[in-house]
Amino acid sequence: MSDTFSWWGILSTVGVLTGLGIIFGALLGVVSERFKREDNPLVEQIDALLPQTQCGQCGYPGCRPYAEAINQGDALNKCPPGGEATIHALADLLGREPEPLDGDAQSETKVAFIREAECIGCTKCIQACPVDAIIGAAKLMHTVIEDECTGCDLCLDPCPVDCIDMLPRSAPLTQWQPIITPSPELIVSDRQPAPGGLHAERL
Amino acid sequence: MPSAYDFPGGVYLPERKQRSSQATLIEAPLPSRVTLPLQQHSGQPATPCVAPGDRVKVGSVIANREGMISSNLHTSISGTVTEVTTAQITIESDGQDEWFRLPSLDWRSAGRHELLERLNESGIVGLGGAGFPSHIKARVDERHAIDTLVINAAECEPYITADDLALRHYPGEILEGAQIIAKLCGARHIVIGIEDNKPEAIGALQQALADSQPVPVELTVIPTRYPSGGERQLIKKLLDLNVPSGGLPADVGVLCHNPGTLLAILHAVLDGQPLVSRIVTLTGEAIAQPGNRWVRLGTSVKELLEEAGVNHSALNQVIQGGPMMGTPLLTLDTPVTKLTNCLIAATLDELPPPPAESPCIRCGECESVCPVALLPQQLHWYARAQDDTKLERYHLFDCIECGACSYVCPSHIPLVVDYREAKSRLRLQRIEATKAEHAKHRFEFRQARLAREEAEKQARKQARQAQQRRPSNTATSSSEKVDLRGLRIAHAAAKASVKKAEKTLARVAQEDPKQSLDDLEMQLATAQENLKAAEWQLAQAREQQSPDSASKESP
Repeated sequence: MSDTFSWWGILSTVGVLTGLGIIFGALLGVVSERFKREDNPLVEQIDALLPQTQCGQCGYPGCRPYAEAINQGDALNKCPPGGEATIHALADLLGREPEPLDGDAQSETKVAFIREAECIGCTKCIQACPVDAIIGAAKLMHTVIEDECTGCDLCLDPCPVDCIDMLPRSAPLTQWQPIITPSPELIVSDRQPAPGGLHAERL
Repeated sequence: MPSAYDFPGGVYLPERKQRSSQATLIEAPLPSRVTLPLQQHSGQPATPCVAPGDRVKVGSVIANREGMISSNLHTSISGTVTEVTTAQITIESDGQDEWFRLPSLDWRSAGRHELLERLNESGIVGLGGAGFPSHIKARVDERHAIDTLVINAAECEPYITADDLALRHYPGEILEGAQIIAKLCGARHIVIGIEDNKPEAIGALQQALADSQPVPVELTVIPTRYPSGGERQLIKKLLDLNVPSGGLPADVGVLCHNPGTLLAILHAVLDGQPLVSRIVTLTGEAIAQPGNRWVRLGTSVKELLEEAGVNHSALNQVIQGGPMMGTPLLTLDTPVTKLTNCLIAATLDELPPPPAESPCIRCGECESVCPVALLPQQLHWYARAQDDTKLERYHLFDCIECGACSYVCPSHIPLVVDYREAKSRLRLQRIEATKAEHAKHRFEFRQARLAREEAEKQARKQARQAQQRRPSNTATSSSEKVDLRGLRIAHAAAKASVKKAEKTLARVAQEDPKQSLDDLEMQLATAQENLKAAEWQLAQAREQQSPDSASKESP
């Protein structure tokens, strides 16, 4: 037994392990410096799930700031344009419990429309629009680029003459969606067992 | 004739082609009025270029193509334009049938550009059903090397005989049309795939093939089995090539064309005749004189059926297209379009409504007949449960909606209806996602622009203050320590992101010139704005630094 015990063996093992530790530590250190990223990738993922209307209904100036706030622990349910679907997607991503929506869900997508005869050309709505979807100049009539408008309502409040309406967005015929009434019976076994039947006993 | 290659699944359907294939091909009478929808093709609808009251001749352009994937529209009768709406143009006939034709073009000597321009001008689209503009399809060789041109003459759906009759009457013309396309796309072989239930058409083709052809043509007769006329299924059957999921036949060096399209192409090139008429099969038990007709586009379906002797009391429904993939018409006041290949006026006994749907019994019959080897059962459940990630994972978008699964389902579940609904829902989601992405980029651009403007303003203010201060030569408050190093790093990062955005833009533009580059251009502009803002900040900080250092050195 005494043959197998040697200080040299122990020392070399300790030395090798320490060496490996130093090498890998240095490697990790270098890599973490080399591939350092400023932004948080989780924020990117959260931001990707938000509807990007930039409406500010969550209390933050845009979707990105809200994504950052969610990452800091803010509630998931502050996004009315996203609705329940967004809340569930966020809850899945972050492993949190979905909460009911804070506020009224939006039933349809809207688009801003300026009643051009009434517009006085004050440019206030242009400054308010988060996606630069309103064109016009001072003392000249303004108009909304329909394709760029996200329907965020932010232009309504600044307008001094209330000449902006939110109209339902007209969807092209190619984007028509059929109305589906899901059938409750998918598989034969989905049928409700008769009360007192064989299955009821088993349950 | 057994083939070495085969696609999975498939069903044997009652053909019911006899009724329409026995009558000869005749011209339908000239309609007194035509209604021409602006979208008779895939892609963007055309833009009208006539006004009510304009006199038009047969073949004059009434709507121009709009955007990349679109097609011109021509009048099919001579007369007066009576109505132009956002969806359609109506023309009243003057009964003259005066033609406007382009000059004839000799395709053997004509240049590639000339031929493409002719296809573009003539408004030719794929007449098989998808309606993809042919001039775009002919330019496929700019991105893919094409080896084989497949003429899809399988016509596998029951009832339809339009291609059959076209091949019987115009075999030489169709082969010549194929030569034009082969020349345009650089194909070295032409393969005709035809089902063995069309002996007359096969005979006519064999006779026409006796003439010498510039590009060798091979005639392959395949056994009749639905859906051998599916593009991917036919390519598998004829050439044993698998078109990748989400890809195009061009990815494996194949281009597929319908005989009717090739005939239209030849007419456009040789006779200068744009696409104003097509062969339509009129069939079904409720019609007294079934058969195939040359029909002017825009003819009312009702007129056409009445001319063929429709028995209104026996008529149950009219299906446009085949019984498997076609759609029942809700009203007969619809026009014949470039995509109407067949009209079935069916009686109740002939095509009875499907029995009430029962729950799935998991028999697996649908899986054994699926020609794409999907799992229709799984897709059915995921579609009903709206489980979108699962649907994508089970390749819903590879479904060709052939209807074989619904046909064999013992529970009569309308599986294809489910798939169509799920597909349209997913497509809408994708559109919404791209829209959101676009809005995000615009928002980021605006933020960057505002930041740049703010930085500029600050810099100007600083400069003004510095000028005022210089005469008095008081030391600037060094309380706000300028982080010059941090600003330099930010500046370098902004520069790098501009370069990166430029590179991405260049790469994508090279890879896919058809793709819209708006978003990438926006990202580049955002990066440039950020760079400008960083430059201003840096310049301002340097300015601030220099009096600082000057004041420190002087004592």
